[in-house]
Amino acid sequence: MQTPLPSPVPVLRLPRGPEGLSRGFAPDGRRAPLKPEVPETPESPVVHECQESQEQRARALLRERYLRSLLAMVGRQVSFTLHEGVHVTAHFGATDVEVANFYVLQLQTPIGVQAEALLRCSDIISYTFKL
Amino acid sequence: MLRQGDTGDWIGTFLGHKGAVWGATLNKDATKAATAAADFTAKVWDAVSGDELMTLAHKHIVKSVDFTQDSNYLLTAGQDKLLRIYDLNKPEAEPKEISGHTSGIKKALWCSEDKQILSADDKTVRLWDHATMTEVKSLSFNMSVSSMEYIPEGEILVITYGRSIAFHSAVSLELIKSFETPATINSASLHPEKEFLVAGGEDFKLYKYDYNSGEELESYKGHFGPIHCVRFSPDGELYASGSEDGTLRLWQTVVGKTYGLWKCVLPEEDSGELAKPKISFPETTEEELEEIASENSDSIYSSTPEVKA
Repeated sequence: MQTPLPSPVPVLRLPRGPEGLSRGFAPDGRRAPLKPEVPETPESPVVHECQESQEQRARALLRERYLRSLLAMVGRQVSFTLHEGVHVTAHFGATDVEVANFYVLQLQTPIGVQAEALLRCSDIISYTFKL
Repeated sequence: MLRQGDTGDWIGTFLGHKGAVWGATLNKDATKAATAAADFTAKVWDAVSGDELMTLAHKHIVKSVDFTQDSNYLLTAGQDKLLRIYDLNKPEAEPKEISGHTSGIKKALWCSEDKQILSADDKTVRLWDHATMTEVKSLSFNMSVSSMEYIPEGEILVITYGRSIAFHSAVSLELIKSFETPATINSASLHPEKEFLVAGGEDFKLYKYDYNSGEELESYKGHFGPIHCVRFSPDGELYASGSEDGTLRLWQTVVGKTYGLWKCVLPEEDSGELAKPKISFPETTEEELEEIASENSDSIYSSTPEVKA
């Protein structure tokens, strides 16, 4: 006897996967309340808080400065120092969200000029440009 | 990796092992995790922050780790054929060792309220007394034991070997019942209400059996490789299967129920637009529910519908 095929059950979405190279364990996630109460060090909790938010503010400021520096680079000539003593220059186009790759134009390499290219940030040791 | 049980969402990844991870476990309140790896170490982790708490060096591949109910002790076992008990409050101290196995141990579990230990190697399952550290009983099999699970409620031991799924008393090791399956089974799990069980193995299918009658109820296709691990969630609402195809799949126990990411759509509701979800996450705030609702505006249908094989 042929039973009718059951219809697929709708799902709201698929389970979320790992985020890039992040380790996860978001402090504000569903599991945060599970953290057992650890007795605070002799340092007063108020001072501790201040230090933490100071550091957070400093990090946020540095991050913002870096992002603005990337914006300032757009369209300019940038010199990149790569591994093995290789130097190339190019016009900076854009970066991706994780700053893993730089999209560049007119990349001048020892073997010629590349109209468009992707430079892997892991290959870059340093880069400079004039404001 | 640590994932949310009801949705499968990734929470975090424990990074540190330098070899394949053979065993992983959480403690009772999910605040600590332990892993056993081919790099000859077992590691204990903070399951909320993801930080590594301790590394326990062994002399060979570690295959199994298990916490006691109070999280004070960790049982480890592996290819060195030794059972080791570590006091987690004194990680520097030497562990207590129990020898006796003649081949590499695949699984070791605390049982009978941590008063006894169950361990399985290739062809034997042994019961040990924790206090005296001596063997109490043993079972021999003529086929390789592929998995062993312990169910505290009812003191039941689920053992899979060859094409058999056997249920033994965890106290006396006496056989309660056993079933034969069409394929080599690698893992089986009994539903908390003990009405049915699921099993998976070399033929890529998941089988559902009635525990009382032994009747095969259903079989499910979906995996593209042998299944190595199957387990019911503590509330019995879903079961998870892990396979060589590189996927972990979550299956609903009662198809059509609203639970986790499954949303039951009644015929009148299906107007094409996704209605606001009626799921209830106990600790979720309204904001989180909004977030879930707005993530996808079209209905997504499961890509692997549960189909009768």
